[in-house]
Amino acid sequence: MARMLEPRLASYIAGKMPQASAVAVDSLSRISGGASRETYRFRLTWNEGGEARERKLILRRDPPASLIETERRIEFEAYRAFHGSSVPVPEMLWLEEESDALDHPFFIAEEIAGFQAGVATLWAEPYVSTLTALGQRKWTILGDIARADPEALGLTGVMPAVEPDQCWNRELSHWEAVLDDDEVEPLPITRAAIRWLRANPPPPPARIAVVHGDYRTGNFLYDDKGGIHGILDWEMAHLGDPLEDLGWSFNPVWTFGRGLAGGLLPHAEAIALWEASSGLKADLAALKWWTLFNCVKGQAIWVSSARAWIDGANREPIMVYPAWALINAQDQATLAVMGKLS
Amino acid sequence: MNPTVPAVLAELAGLVMRNAAPDVAASDRANALGLTAALLVMAAEAFDGAAAMLVAENRAFRALLVRGAAHVPTGLDLGDDEDLRVSALQAINARLRQGLIDLHTAVEGVDPDLEAAVWSELVASTGRRRTAGMAG
Repeated sequence: MARMLEPRLASYIAGKMPQASAVAVDSLSRISGGASRETYRFRLTWNEGGEARERKLILRRDPPASLIETERRIEFEAYRAFHGSSVPVPEMLWLEEESDALDHPFFIAEEIAGFQAGVATLWAEPYVSTLTALGQRKWTILGDIARADPEALGLTGVMPAVEPDQCWNRELSHWEAVLDDDEVEPLPITRAAIRWLRANPPPPPARIAVVHGDYRTGNFLYDDKGGIHGILDWEMAHLGDPLEDLGWSFNPVWTFGRGLAGGLLPHAEAIALWEASSGLKADLAALKWWTLFNCVKGQAIWVSSARAWIDGANREPIMVYPAWALINAQDQATLAVMGKLS
Repeated sequence: MNPTVPAVLAELAGLVMRNAAPDVAASDRANALGLTAALLVMAAEAFDGAAAMLVAENRAFRALLVRGAAHVPTGLDLGDDEDLRVSALQAINARLRQGLIDLHTAVEGVDPDLEAAVWSELVASTGRRRTAGMAG
């Protein structure tokens, strides 16, 4: 499958590089995971100015049906906005929103090579001894995202605006609607959480910020010294309450059995780092609201993957795994945040 | 579990067959089969206990719905667990779970004892459904 894409990808890129000749793609291989986009790495070679050149690149292509339905332009622009800032992200090169070239929309970015992604390698040496440092970087960078001015980044023209007092309602209504549409079986715990959230709305944020939308351990590139070199998976980025991201990072399904925020740090330490970096104060009651909200959001995402598989829109095994591994875990996490577990 | 175990196993069988072909790229094969293995382990664990778990949960839900009948007088068909096929038990379970949502909504702030009993059963339910392959 991957090999068949190589000449088509080369043809597309050649059209974007009129100064280049002998444009070729090789070593295209799919990176595991990626239920919302198909992700491939490949090597681009070309001649330019009499020299042979090469670059390692990433292709992110929409699958037939996604775990998360999102606008790829927003994802592309979010990456582009933070490139070169204190928030490390790969350089974006080309966005293609039509399906002619590679059957589905896609974008191409630089590959930040030589680092680990995903959580599987984190819990053994040499990485396990760096988890504290990694956590410190993780929540410091999240604070940097919260501190960034969306207008100065050029993102207010791409991401829908939201009034401060409507942040919570917009997000909750969106994900509740996803549950209404995609739920495979009734979810008493999630529905009880939604009732509580609606009865106890949080105060408006001090300021509207860029919300990454999926800021969790596993969605960044890391080294064996606790360094982070690329924040990934911006497909759910939007404008909103900066506490939303902190709440997602505190969703108990991301503790990996370690009892720590993101499996990395005590919650209080993560909050302190985020506050120092963002310049904001984390209202603990509001943070609880956003953490519980993210339990609902998580459940909506896992349920959607089950729905896409059942309806036949996407029969990849990656669509089954969240449904089987996370729906009950998310219910338990919801109970924990609501204080229902002894 | 949804998607159901039989449906997933049938799909995985086809996936394994396709990946047995010699011209499949190694990276594609690794991606497909690695996750397939994880799902097979989860399916194996679920297979033995699925019917027992559903029967226990259905009984517990029925007891709560009978106890709270005054709060939600909808005439909900509580069914029975005579048909022990997992698909049949799941269908009844879905109906009872919706009934439990209606009951829970009705008793919140109105009947603290019954509300606490519903929460207690929901906690027990997640414990019954927990398997080794689950995250968290």
